[in-house]
Amino acid sequence: MSILEYLANGLVFSSIIVLSGVGLSLIYSIASFANFAHGDTMTVGAYGALVSFGAVGSMGGLLFGLPYGFYVALAAGALLAALVAVITQRLVYEPLEIGSIGLLITSIGIAFVYRALIQLGFGTDGRRYAVPAMRPVEWLVPVGIRITVQEIAIVAFAAVFVVALHLVLTRTLLGQMMRAMADDASLARVSGVRTSRIKLWTWVLGAGLAGAGGVFLGLYNQIEPRMGFNILLVVFAAVILGGIGSVYGAMLGGFLIGMVDQLMPVLGDIGIPIGTEYSYAVAFLIMVGVLLARPSGIAGTTER
Amino acid sequence: MTAIRSRLSIPAEPTVRVALGAVSVLTMLLVVGLLTGGIGPAYLLYLLGLSGMYVLLAIGLNVQWGYTGMINFSVAAFFGLGAYGSAILTASNTPTGLSLSPLVGLVVGVGLAAVVAVLIAVPTLRLSADYLAIATLGLAEVVRIIIQNQRAVTNGNAGLRGLPKFSEGWPLLGGFPTGAPTVTLSEITLGPFTLLGFRLGRPVWQGLLDLSVVVVMILVVYALVRRLHRSPWGRVLRTIRSDEELAKALGKPTFRHKMEAFVLGSVIMAVAGVYYAHLNLFVTPQNLAPINTFYVWIAVILGGAGSNRGAVFGGFMIIAIREGTRFLRELLPQQLGSGGAVTDLYTTVIGNFGATRLLAVGLLIVLVIRIRPEGVLPPRSELIWPETREEPDE
Repeated sequence: MSILEYLANGLVFSSIIVLSGVGLSLIYSIASFANFAHGDTMTVGAYGALVSFGAVGSMGGLLFGLPYGFYVALAAGALLAALVAVITQRLVYEPLEIGSIGLLITSIGIAFVYRALIQLGFGTDGRRYAVPAMRPVEWLVPVGIRITVQEIAIVAFAAVFVVALHLVLTRTLLGQMMRAMADDASLARVSGVRTSRIKLWTWVLGAGLAGAGGVFLGLYNQIEPRMGFNILLVVFAAVILGGIGSVYGAMLGGFLIGMVDQLMPVLGDIGIPIGTEYSYAVAFLIMVGVLLARPSGIAGTTER
Repeated sequence: MTAIRSRLSIPAEPTVRVALGAVSVLTMLLVVGLLTGGIGPAYLLYLLGLSGMYVLLAIGLNVQWGYTGMINFSVAAFFGLGAYGSAILTASNTPTGLSLSPLVGLVVGVGLAAVVAVLIAVPTLRLSADYLAIATLGLAEVVRIIIQNQRAVTNGNAGLRGLPKFSEGWPLLGGFPTGAPTVTLSEITLGPFTLLGFRLGRPVWQGLLDLSVVVVMILVVYALVRRLHRSPWGRVLRTIRSDEELAKALGKPTFRHKMEAFVLGSVIMAVAGVYYAHLNLFVTPQNLAPINTFYVWIAVILGGAGSNRGAVFGGFMIIAIREGTRFLRELLPQQLGSGGAVTDLYTTVIGNFGATRLLAVGLLIVLVIRIRPEGVLPPRSELIWPETREEPDE
């Protein structure tokens, strides 16, 4: 495979990590804890889309190689993930009077509950969305890139979602209040921000993006109950690399970690003997390295 | 009189009663199961040995989280390093081709865990708590991925099998399982019930020996940890837990103390791993899966962080949850009612017991933190020197 093709694959995988990472970072900065249920929120989104795609069917034509019905399913998956997260916040996290470590441990329990319920409902076998199989885009093949229209769609949608989040954060009152809360929650509160409502909106946005990321992950690989938990640490690695709590850092970190993951074979080509099975291990070591050298991340400004 | 009453009132503390109640119900179930033939005596001893292993793991994590407040999500890695460290040297299908004594395995497994503990601790212990959680979980995965893929040393996913029993080759005790006579307990019919009717043969004596090994390990580790916890060293750890800056301001080398506690806890986990390898006689990379780390966490949270007796209690409860759900599945009927949503739901829950157990574990974590974040048996008297109490303590 050519280096360009590795880069193209890296871009697709990065897009998924970025979608999930941005949500994780948002929740970290406003709900103030490392949410270990974030990966399983992605799984919830993927299965939500699976069910709704089965219900609505293909609905006629194709857009970017994906049936119209798939886009309905994408929205439904993201909404379901957001809804589940909001219910969890109201039912579990909000009533707890406990520090960030207690919330972190609770979120592990929540992750298990999500995954167990999905296993009970759907079994443990891997599944795929019923979308037509695509051949690589023809005009890119001569350049050395074999990538399908669907994979290009993943990158495009990730870009749209990230830009939309950027606009929400910078141009709307909600975004201003969210940023105020991330800076100083008590100051925001005395300034009249209804912090518990903003927190709920944060969960909607963060979990919705994770749900969309989960749908794309299911499209890129396959849908199975462990998919989210397996990728969670990679997402954490990306978020820490970019600076936890920083949304823009998460974008950059997600991009870099996704690239590193897919560029592992190149290391073998240029003579560094390390197999692709170590790609996650390399990502985790990069994460620990960043924590050591620059705990605030490459784009982070917050002192921790 | 008041002294006696106040001493008597200790077991009357409600949560202690809950703990005692849970333990006695479990014991009763086990005795009934043994007498009626529901559980074979050798299997019962194996389960008790596994419980002992979890008790060791919980004590180890308690040193790190309970005493010092360090989040360590790499319990399974240190457990696995102990297990693999010993298995690589002793298994019959090991690629290294060595067949050494498990005692050598114990030394190597523990040494390996200690070295890796230092390697992990040096970069991570400076991190704040939530970063430490993520970093240790990531490094534990690195250890698991390496063990899974270095087939030339670890045999990869196939795992290592054919390990010797821990006691093999010991003078006197090593020959005990084969040498001891086989005792047959004949059946007794009591009304509708048939009791007993099993043989106490070699597997039972072996199981008894395995159990004694872990009991000795627990006694030694418990005594050591209890003594350390009360010492000035343990006092510094508790100060670090509540306020690390304060400990620093008092001139305590907090990094060194944290490092020592981290290595001590990890070494105890490795001991549990070595024990597991020679109890189960088979290790795979699956033993290093993150879920095993979280089982130990539940044991410590359920028992009460910082409490030694809590760690012991939590360790036993984990086996009750893990193995109890398996028994429940065999006891419950395969179908309930005929048709309808309830029947479907019931069939799903019974049919996917792995998922049901995961659900129970998840709910347990959430409920304990919600209802009783300090655990069932929070630390109380173990922090006080016996001589400094008002009432004498035998």
